[in-house]
Amino acid sequence: MSVRVCTLDDLLHAPLEADSDLTTQEYLVNMGPQHPIAHGSLRIVLRLDGETVKHVLPVPGYVHRGVEKMCEHLTYRQIIPYTDRLDYLSAIMNNWAVARTVEAAAGIETNERIEYIRTIMSELQRLQSHALWWGVTGMDLGAYTAFLYGFREREIIGEIFEETIGARLTMNYIQPGGLMYDIRPDFVAKVKRLIPYLRGCIEQYETLLTGNAIFQERLRNIGILDGAKALALGCTGPVLRASGVPYDLRAIEGYGMYGKVNFNVVVGSVGDCWDRYYVRLEEMRESLRIIEQLIDSIPEGAFSTLHYNADVILPEGTHYGQIETARGVFGVLIVSDGKSGIPYRLHFRSPNFNNLWVVTAIAPGWRIADFISIQSSLDLVVPDIDR
Amino acid sequence: MGMIDTIAVETSERQIAGKTVAVSTVLRGRPPSYLRVAFSTVIGLLRGMKMTLGYFLSPEEIVTQQYPENRDTLRFPERYRGNLRFKFPNAEEHESHAALVTQVSQEAEVDAQHAAAWMHEDNGARWYHNCTGCGKCEAACPNASIKVITRHGEILDDRELDRFVWRLDSCMFCNACVQACPWDAIEMTAGFENAVYDRRLLVYNLNKMAGPRINLIQDEENPDVRKRMVERRDRYGGPVPLNGFGLPNLLPVPAPLPVDEAVDAMPGQEGSA
Repeated sequence: MSVRVCTLDDLLHAPLEADSDLTTQEYLVNMGPQHPIAHGSLRIVLRLDGETVKHVLPVPGYVHRGVEKMCEHLTYRQIIPYTDRLDYLSAIMNNWAVARTVEAAAGIETNERIEYIRTIMSELQRLQSHALWWGVTGMDLGAYTAFLYGFREREIIGEIFEETIGARLTMNYIQPGGLMYDIRPDFVAKVKRLIPYLRGCIEQYETLLTGNAIFQERLRNIGILDGAKALALGCTGPVLRASGVPYDLRAIEGYGMYGKVNFNVVVGSVGDCWDRYYVRLEEMRESLRIIEQLIDSIPEGAFSTLHYNADVILPEGTHYGQIETARGVFGVLIVSDGKSGIPYRLHFRSPNFNNLWVVTAIAPGWRIADFISIQSSLDLVVPDIDR
Repeated sequence: MGMIDTIAVETSERQIAGKTVAVSTVLRGRPPSYLRVAFSTVIGLLRGMKMTLGYFLSPEEIVTQQYPENRDTLRFPERYRGNLRFKFPNAEEHESHAALVTQVSQEAEVDAQHAAAWMHEDNGARWYHNCTGCGKCEAACPNASIKVITRHGEILDDRELDRFVWRLDSCMFCNACVQACPWDAIEMTAGFENAVYDRRLLVYNLNKMAGPRINLIQDEENPDVRKRMVERRDRYGGPVPLNGFGLPNLLPVPAPLPVDEAVDAMPGQEGSA
């Protein structure tokens, strides 16, 4: 396959023409940076023939803050709150990615309790993220009720986070060598009460949205992305898995406690928007399975193996570590000079940036309304694209 | 369920990246007949409608919170990361601390009742502190939201806190300062309603008194010496680092009281917002 490379300039100055016999004309339409579908500030230039999308060009950069450059002046502990602000719906998993990279490079040991809590918290966050995505997808496609239902579950999980961590969004919870706080004594009981409740909620989701024929029509067989194309574009996460590639770092690398629990990698069979929708719903069920297997057997131990004010200096060289977040592989590349406690260079490999360019490959040929379905099914978080 | 007649999930094992992983595949049924589409469209819509109507008929299941009407009953978890303030050394010392504040404030001719109310007020300022001015929090802060200004204490002949300036406007509530503090002197509280009309009001001193740690004041027995150990600090007193002074069309910040007057001033008359 080939991906057509096109700059904004090429797109704007290409002659406008239309295929049809009618006296129509191609239009360039800006979708965003302020558009409900953008879920942030993402500008997408569409070249339209009537309602048909001829060409798509995403123009990211409206939320660029230079996080990676900022991180070159921060210690490894100070980097972690900044990763909360990338993919803010997977904050704990982003924290974990940095912590995992630093721990592997500096040889910091953790204990089983820490890994248990990290895994459970990450899965809770994945549930929270998918619940929000489910609601937002409903809202994008005109079902505002779904948005409020999704937020209901998000808030209920958020209260557990708030009691344990003290924040609802910007967690800064997982740190090199451990966690910020230990879990509270009633954490296990609360999570165990939550599991059957969330199972019921997923059934509600099925009733409310999955069973809705209008919703199904807007997703089924729309925006088909085959596995080879998804791999070529560097997609990860549910977007890649919906195209039939069972690539999930949790199963492949088995980091944290994922190697010790039984869960299935959910893949789709067609690769359309519907598969991307249903794979995420099934992933929520799998997340509940993972939490269920771990929650009863959290071992005793310290919640941090490293003193907070201890210096963390990585050996000289390049270090890379990655984590499966709710949207795909989040990687951290650190170049260390081996002397100072700050990275010499740092790069985040964010899943959303690669997933964004899927629209250029699959959206042409579909209508504007289908474009909404396609972009919504990709579950993009814009601050993670721009960083 | 709905129109796609079977949402079956098939479990199998597949090879990926040299590993065998358990995979469940979301399968698609045959395209349904037109009659089935028409039938299941109505059924699917009615099912969804029934669920929504359920909440309409049983409003006690509604989970929405009515903020700000519920402000009186709003409860925050103890770990909630809101505004920063100085912490009491520990809960047991709370009572003795309150007694000390009353005593010292009587000595300083400050109305005890006002002082007690002041102590509990949630604007981040506390009468006494456990801060030594070591600057660990300043070093741990990822975006320089804390400026610890120390001075040399004459009586104890040691470094002590002069002003603890917190920049709320650039703080991202990451808790790094609280974690880094070796003296357990600061904490993040439930304060979160920080809207003001002038952003200069978001940079302020957390301490009301410049001086040594509370335990060192407690150890001193002579009330006159004790009074000389501490010095009043206004919430907005002193030069504010990196602040937006000189910006046009902003409300004037209340002028800080001169330090000598401030020590003897009634707390209700201070210039804080």
